[in-house]
Amino acid sequence: MLPWKYNKKMLQQTIDILSSYQIPKKVCMMGNVAVARGAIEANVDGVFSYPGTPSTEISEVFSHVNSFQNRKENIENYPEQTANKIYFEYSINEKIALEKAIAYSIGNKSALCVMKNVGMNVACDALMSITYQTIVAPLVIIVCDDPGCHSSSNEQDSRYWGKMASVPIFNPATPAESLKQTKSAFLLSAQLKLPVIVRLTTRVSHTRGVINYGKLSKKNSEASFERVPEHINIPAKTAAAHTQLLNKLHSDYFNEHGVKYNQIVHQTKNKKQNANIGIITSGVTTVYVKEILERSALKNNYSLLNLGLICPFPTAIVLEFLNLPLKKIIVIEELDPIIENDVRIVAQENKIKTAIFGLGFSTLIPTGEFSLDSIEKALLNFTKDQSLKNKNVPIKNAENLVKNLPLRPPTLCAGCPHRATFYALKLAVPRNIPDVILCGDIGCNGLGALPPLKMIDTINHMGMSVSMAQGLSEAFSNSNQSNKTVAMLGDGTFFHSGVTSLLNAIYTKANILVIIFDNRTIGMTGHQDHPGATHLNKYHQIDLLPFIRGMGAQYVESIFPFNLKDSFRKINDALATKGVSVIVAKSPCIFLPEFKDGSIHRKKIVVDHTRCNTCDNHEDKQIACARCYSPLNNLSRAKLKITAINHVPAQKQLCPANICNHGFFNSIIEGNYSEAVKMVRDKMLFSRTCGDICHRPCELLSNNKTIVPIKKLKRFVSSFDESFFDFSNAIQQTKNAKKKNKKIAIIGAGPAGLSAAYDLIREGYAVDIYDKEEKPGGMLKYIIPFFRMDKTGLDYETSVLEELGVKFLCSKQLGKDFTINDLSQKYDAVVLAIGLWKSKKLEVVENNIPDTKKHTALSFLKAINTDSIQANQPLRYLVIGGGNSAIDSARAAKKINPSNTVTLVCIESRENMPAFEEEITHAIEESIEIVNEYAIEKVVDSNNSIHCTIKPLLSDKTQLITCDVIITAIGQSPNTELFSELNEQTDKNSSLININNENGFTNFKNVFAAGDVCNGNHQSVIGAIASGRRAATGIRQLLENYKYGYEGIAALKKLNQSSNPPLNPLKEEKLPPFGRVEVGQTSNFKPQTSKDLLERIKGMDLYQACAKCNHCIDNFGCPAMIKVNGKIEIDYQKCTNCGLCIDVCPNNAITFIEEVIPV
Amino acid sequence: MSNKTKIQVAGVGGQGVVFLTNLIVEAALIADIPVATSEIHGLSQRGGSVTASITLGENTYGFIENAGADFLLGLELLETQRCLNYLHKNSVVVADNFKITPFLVNAGTAKYPDTEAFVQLLKPQIKQVIVIENITGIKDILRNMFVLGVASKVSSFPLSAAVIRKAITKNVADYNLETTLEAFELGRNYCNQKTNNK
Repeated sequence: MLPWKYNKKMLQQTIDILSSYQIPKKVCMMGNVAVARGAIEANVDGVFSYPGTPSTEISEVFSHVNSFQNRKENIENYPEQTANKIYFEYSINEKIALEKAIAYSIGNKSALCVMKNVGMNVACDALMSITYQTIVAPLVIIVCDDPGCHSSSNEQDSRYWGKMASVPIFNPATPAESLKQTKSAFLLSAQLKLPVIVRLTTRVSHTRGVINYGKLSKKNSEASFERVPEHINIPAKTAAAHTQLLNKLHSDYFNEHGVKYNQIVHQTKNKKQNANIGIITSGVTTVYVKEILERSALKNNYSLLNLGLICPFPTAIVLEFLNLPLKKIIVIEELDPIIENDVRIVAQENKIKTAIFGLGFSTLIPTGEFSLDSIEKALLNFTKDQSLKNKNVPIKNAENLVKNLPLRPPTLCAGCPHRATFYALKLAVPRNIPDVILCGDIGCNGLGALPPLKMIDTINHMGMSVSMAQGLSEAFSNSNQSNKTVAMLGDGTFFHSGVTSLLNAIYTKANILVIIFDNRTIGMTGHQDHPGATHLNKYHQIDLLPFIRGMGAQYVESIFPFNLKDSFRKINDALATKGVSVIVAKSPCIFLPEFKDGSIHRKKIVVDHTRCNTCDNHEDKQIACARCYSPLNNLSRAKLKITAINHVPAQKQLCPANICNHGFFNSIIEGNYSEAVKMVRDKMLFSRTCGDICHRPCELLSNNKTIVPIKKLKRFVSSFDESFFDFSNAIQQTKNAKKKNKKIAIIGAGPAGLSAAYDLIREGYAVDIYDKEEKPGGMLKYIIPFFRMDKTGLDYETSVLEELGVKFLCSKQLGKDFTINDLSQKYDAVVLAIGLWKSKKLEVVENNIPDTKKHTALSFLKAINTDSIQANQPLRYLVIGGGNSAIDSARAAKKINPSNTVTLVCIESRENMPAFEEEITHAIEESIEIVNEYAIEKVVDSNNSIHCTIKPLLSDKTQLITCDVIITAIGQSPNTELFSELNEQTDKNSSLININNENGFTNFKNVFAAGDVCNGNHQSVIGAIASGRRAATGIRQLLENYKYGYEGIAALKKLNQSSNPPLNPLKEEKLPPFGRVEVGQTSNFKPQTSKDLLERIKGMDLYQACAKCNHCIDNFGCPAMIKVNGKIEIDYQKCTNCGLCIDVCPNNAITFIEEVIPV
Repeated sequence: MSNKTKIQVAGVGGQGVVFLTNLIVEAALIADIPVATSEIHGLSQRGGSVTASITLGENTYGFIENAGADFLLGLELLETQRCLNYLHKNSVVVADNFKITPFLVNAGTAKYPDTEAFVQLLKPQIKQVIVIENITGIKDILRNMFVLGVASKVSSFPLSAAVIRKAITKNVADYNLETTLEAFELGRNYCNQKTNNK
């Protein structure tokens, strides 16, 4: 509620309502305001209330009056309006309000007590006993019922309180009656020394009508207290007091008031009974009936009795009405048949035979509100008088059309601190965790139950949340479900009744978390005061934290909800603390001046549309993505933003094959390992192979401090067979692809060729692969040793291509069985991916050692992989070279017979060996001796041994090594004869094929190249895969005018520019001992690896913008954020600059910009 | 039409439905016309639908029945459509072509209704439909005054521009008075402009 001085109309209304008018002043006011004026005309001294729709405006009038009368300048300027001071308070609940009002009356000051329907339930303890005693000055209670539940938790009929407590009840029909009856209620209360209830309904409270403000009289009540026995209630006296109370209800005063408010307002003129119809109404139904009867051509047929003072029941006037010559009577009242039942009693007692109808007739049902339409229908059915009917021609089918319109439920405001708290809780307790029960409460807090927040499981009556949580927690105390139950309530509700329940929770050692949404006001009903309110200095503010700490709760902390990180942390701590935890989420309601004072005026929220709902992984939005769109997935992404310690931009860890590492990582965080594998397979065949042997440029080439262990994660998720064998996405993509009717030949079934094939077949191309070996796989199959990777897995991954429709033409040799030219003519495009299969030789070895005692790395490893090496006798091996094939050979030599002795000699220093660091480490661990910085000087073959003289690079101190077998592993070169047709396109130094770096085109006819045979390509598995994919993109550009470049081009170029082979900056990085993943069985290393691994990635966030994001709409729901054409727009009319969305957006698309916003 | 007039006002919380209703009430009092209204309060500040019914003339109490509204003043198009059932053959609709997407539409689970279809449906069935196409030059919060200005130009509207101006002057704080009156006058000029353009 804004101070009255800001609101011209409210100020005028306050002055008007406090003024006396010689000539009545005509105003059009709400029923609630009329009640207030009635009380003022009755000289009320004090008003005690608890706000609640539909009663709120009554209290607001007095709140304004109170602050008006207490201002010094008003006392000077408005002496008449400030003379009769009216005390006002928002009590903490209805019981206190009524108790204090009773006491005020006993102190000889007249009192008004205001509440909504359910408020009477809280207050009734006070009501039920005071009637047996006595009040002194008049006391009037206003109760506002809410048929149709516009804003209440039930449709109770408060007229029952009249019978229950034996107090008089007025039931006005219009604002004008509300004024008069309230005034009369004060008089009657004074006459009887009994509280009197004025009961309104929403349609009376919130209807405006013309009323007259009359004269005010001078007030002269003096506070006094008389010691009379009636003030002491003891059982011995109660029975007698009850008799006295019932006698009061038979007082003659009721005749005096009844004459005014219980009237036959329209009486039939027909003498004959036949056509005459009687209608009895009370409250708003009276005006509905009056307006409808006005239409009738047969007005003389109707008699209408309106009852305004309904308790005690006005038997005399009802009997008079029943005795009119009426054919039948209908009682029309909303909710329960209270009047109807008494009418029937009167009829029976007086043997009246006229038929009486009421509840249950036609549209007259006990639930919901009546309307002009429902009553018209009831009266039409009852009277058959067609002239009652509305004669306007309606719109055809209107009701159906209206029914189908989208609803507009209320939401938490933009900038509401409640949303911030709910959101922090949502991060801590996502709704897919079923065993945390969230108990909400009445008021704005309850709006958290609505989508998209949906953070409430139960809402009952005011303050029940805390009891609900402790009761449920007790019920589950002996079950496995040990999670805390959460209670959430606003600060107003907490003071109203949650506080006693919290005491009970602490005292009974409950295990709950209570979150108090402390926005320093009662938000829902229009910002009234309560003990925590700060915006008016009339009250003493109660600080929740010391108060609750004093109660003895185990954990008590306050949060500023907009600080999401801190809120999340504290909520987690509170959940982890056994006993009663209390969090006070403190931030002012956006309607309070404090909020506006604290908001940021010079900045403006903006959404970067290049980041909102956009994929950062690939430009071509048609490229398949296995990542599932789900609100929960996005919540998990958003959670990392708040909870992770290390934030790594996914751009820092790009994969040359362009696997979406962001989606891959998040799938794993969400526990969806099969989706993670699918994300790898979006881009390439080889999830398990890469998990085994990729040299992980995504990690090594990242210059970030924190590095997400992508390779280990890949290895981990690929170890699940059910995911590994699932190629359903690729099969579906191939099936759905538009057939291009183009044929592609790929020469070489290594990783480059197979990768090109995988991409092309899924785009609708026909693909034939030629390979010289018996089986596809190239170096992966024949050279990489079995102990470094899962060969069976590889076989499966390559076999999938066949399933997708790729044709393998194996044991076909380029140059012998076909030429590049042949294929170039036969096919629409050709990919040359033949790798480097020619070993470099060392002359000293070649010339001096017989073939039986020497190998090249390639021949040795191929023999190993094809099982054609005899390894029965222990042998001494000498490996020459410092690269990966040397290390592979050395390790293989050791693996085939652990008794073999293996020495490796290379000219590089230990640090500069081109082999992968991890491999070198493994070799050393496997007792392979590595001799660095030596060259081979001399090799001599004797009968039993080979004697090899080696010489350091910088000295002449030679050494002798004796061995049985020499393996030369000093590198490979291309077999240039095979592609002599491409001579023009070959690099003169390296003999490798020159290609276009963007698309792999060789500049020769329709021939593309990929893999190690390309000049400038990185000689690694991932380098081969990526270049294969690049060639596939090049072919698409050529054959279908595909307009995008290769999606991973940036990462591939970065890879190609890196040291080749790469140097390893992460010396400490070690792969765990290789646990072989056998096809058909689950890996035995999985459990501990997953635990360590998942522990290791805890606190990491690999972030990137994602197109499958709808997070702010799905999980946050700020009304200032609107989605237009797939992008979020800010509605600046609503935006309060709270800035929470900046922390919410997982795409990092929202920021503040400096801008002076005109206020 | 009898001497009764029923006016339905529809909009969204924060658009000034209640303020507009207050002005009409004030104007009626100045013109000495019996007036009553009915509104539902409570959740309006939370962005929900807000409607007010205003009845002018003897023996009316602020309630509008189905096919009972002589005027519908719509501040938001979806809320305007939601009042379809109150319209009848002789109704006049003055609707601002202003949309506030409800959450369900925002979330993509519901569609904002086709407003063009709505207007086409109405036109043959009621006396007059004025959809205000493009309000410019005033703050959004004063669009309600623009709508009232347009409505006041309709010959059957029960309140004259003069009494409405008086009501505005009486109700609006001085620092906002000029812009409020200006918005009202712009609304009054809107129909002229439209006719001139044709």
